[in-house]
Amino acid sequence: MTDQKSPSEDRWPHYTAPEFVDVAGTSVAYRRRGTGDALLFLHGLGPTRIWQPMLEQLAGIHDVIAPEHPGFGDSPLPRWIRTFDDLVLHYDAFLDLMGVDRVHLVGHGLGGWAAADLALHYPRRFASVTLIAPSGVRLVDTPSIDVFRMLDHEFRSALFNGRDERYAEFLDQEGAPEDAIRALAEGIPTARLSWNPRYDIRLDHRLARISAPSLVLAVEDDRVVPTSSAARFAELIPHSTLHTIPGRPGEPSSHAVALEQPDVVAAAIAAHTTAS
Amino acid sequence: MNDYDFHVILDGAYPNVPRADDRKSNYIDLPNDYYDSDLGQKVMEDQLEQFVSLERLGFDGAIVSEQHNGPIGLWGNPMLAGAYLAGRTNNITIGVVGPLINAYRTPVRLAEEIANLDILTRGRLLFGLPLGHGMQHHSLGVMNSAEARERYLESHDLLMAALTRPGPFEWKGEYFNVPYVNLWPRPIQKPHPPIFIPGGGSVETLRLVAKHRYTYQGTLSPRPARIANIARLREFCEEEGYEMDRRQAALVVAVHVAETDAQARLETEAHDLWQYQNFFKSPWHDNFPPGYVSEESLRRSMAGGYRSKPLTDLTYDELVENGWVVAGSPETVADTLTEYLDEMGAGVVVLAMNVGTKPKWLADKSLALFAEQVIPRMRRGGRPRWAGGELPGHETLAQFGARRSAARPAAPRPTAYVDGRLIDVETSHLEELRHADGN
Repeated sequence: MTDQKSPSEDRWPHYTAPEFVDVAGTSVAYRRRGTGDALLFLHGLGPTRIWQPMLEQLAGIHDVIAPEHPGFGDSPLPRWIRTFDDLVLHYDAFLDLMGVDRVHLVGHGLGGWAAADLALHYPRRFASVTLIAPSGVRLVDTPSIDVFRMLDHEFRSALFNGRDERYAEFLDQEGAPEDAIRALAEGIPTARLSWNPRYDIRLDHRLARISAPSLVLAVEDDRVVPTSSAARFAELIPHSTLHTIPGRPGEPSSHAVALEQPDVVAAAIAAHTTAS
Repeated sequence: MNDYDFHVILDGAYPNVPRADDRKSNYIDLPNDYYDSDLGQKVMEDQLEQFVSLERLGFDGAIVSEQHNGPIGLWGNPMLAGAYLAGRTNNITIGVVGPLINAYRTPVRLAEEIANLDILTRGRLLFGLPLGHGMQHHSLGVMNSAEARERYLESHDLLMAALTRPGPFEWKGEYFNVPYVNLWPRPIQKPHPPIFIPGGGSVETLRLVAKHRYTYQGTLSPRPARIANIARLREFCEEEGYEMDRRQAALVVAVHVAETDAQARLETEAHDLWQYQNFFKSPWHDNFPPGYVSEESLRRSMAGGYRSKPLTDLTYDELVENGWVVAGSPETVADTLTEYLDEMGAGVVVLAMNVGTKPKWLADKSLALFAEQVIPRMRRGGRPRWAGGELPGHETLAQFGARRSAARPAAPRPTAYVDGRLIDVETSHLEELRHADGN
């Protein structure tokens, strides 16, 4: 960090200063808190550079490790990270550097796709797998949602099903235009990974390789990843459980369910990891 | 009097579409239910007929463009239009700008098409290598904006190697691995047909043009930005160790000529405003999909360096003041264009003289006035570049015969074994020459 400010905890709400580790020549920003069995959290699209309340709750029972993907948050994007395969090797190396062997794995959205890929490449490394509203499978009969054609305010709205103004604490960081530029910059790794195709048809066959106990958390009205994506993951992963997180009354749960209802999501994850 | 090349660009826009105000954009996802077969056919045929007429009017060249998923232009592959025009014209330079090289699975296929088209035109082909605007990355399923520039640069290198280097050779790149690059046929023009690179001012594109001595076809920028871009190009050429040729700088501008200034405005005003209000409206993320420009360029653009005012909000007076449109009497147009070109240091003007809604007869009138009364004011004698010249390709059998024997005296002769004897096939119908060995 070359920032002039000390790595204070108050740059914006939920900000904590990241630590950095060099993974095969690229710097990775990560946050790590808590004690217990290690848990790797892979974030999805949405706010970066925060320690979200759900992770704080999980840190009560786990050693929670939350890196930022290459090109997201404070992690730079090296040339050689182009596909999910590259990301899988990246995270296997990252976990070695964290000094952990067997871990619980949690991924959200695009991070759910990465987590599924990681778990099927290294099926023996993970004590459990939890995917929250994951993207990545082909849904032949469901129209796709084109996040690449959403303006910044449209994406914020899609994340929270129109309730984004309530969650400005997560979304507003440096203000305009920096926040919008950051969102566009994070679009670059997103596009490298998923511009075309926008799914990995190999997952249809490969997800069967995941051997850890798996929980797929769905939401009621996902406007970032088609709602039915979670159910398709659950169908393809053997020994998996599908659970839908209900929203608050009159407010169907959104893609940003972990930000809207951190207690509920953390409890669902904890129940799964402790049982696994 | 400076010397200029006169080209006309014909986009062939489809006019009957809803106002863009009510939509994010008329690119990408305007339902093709709005497309009517008869009107579409007329738009394309008018465009081609107008192109053909430009030869007789005395323009040096004309250009068709490549567009996808929308009404701005109806040629997904302008090489097809080029092939048709090759057969309908004799002398005028045929410009094809597209093709979008990133839309090709391999640049070698484009090299083949370029060679074919250069032969069909007998060496009159000019081609462009646009990166493709942001909107076009949504429509083909093979272009990823996040890798577009890198892939474009390697594609360019492979394409030019295929066109100019003796084959076979092997290509081992990051995006392409071709075991045998070996172009058959090869283009007529040596080392290759002239190349225009369309650009909106990005440093990457200007450097490419400077490095390879191509022509920069600056588009969609106000006059001060265009002048600044060419100034920058001149610097980059100097860094490459040479002085920029005026013909490396092309000005693309909407032009309309009528009898008087007032008449010109009356004839073109609404059509120009229609185009700016409807065709150039695209939301930010469509113009700049991820990685299409660098984070630094994004920052500059968002700070207001891109366009100070959305194109959709420009008034006609602003279009004229900022050099988007040049319209008036022949004298006004000649004076304005000359001043504009000389201010830029540009030697090529590409006239956009038929936006989609302008009736063909009205555009024809403007084109005729330009040919008859503007070109002579800007070019002594008015003769097109091609008048009295010889095409690179031969035009008669006699020319073929003369060139063939001069150029390839030792070409291998075709032979065949007939009844166990190797004979020269070309003379095999002559009994007394049947005994001669092939070589």
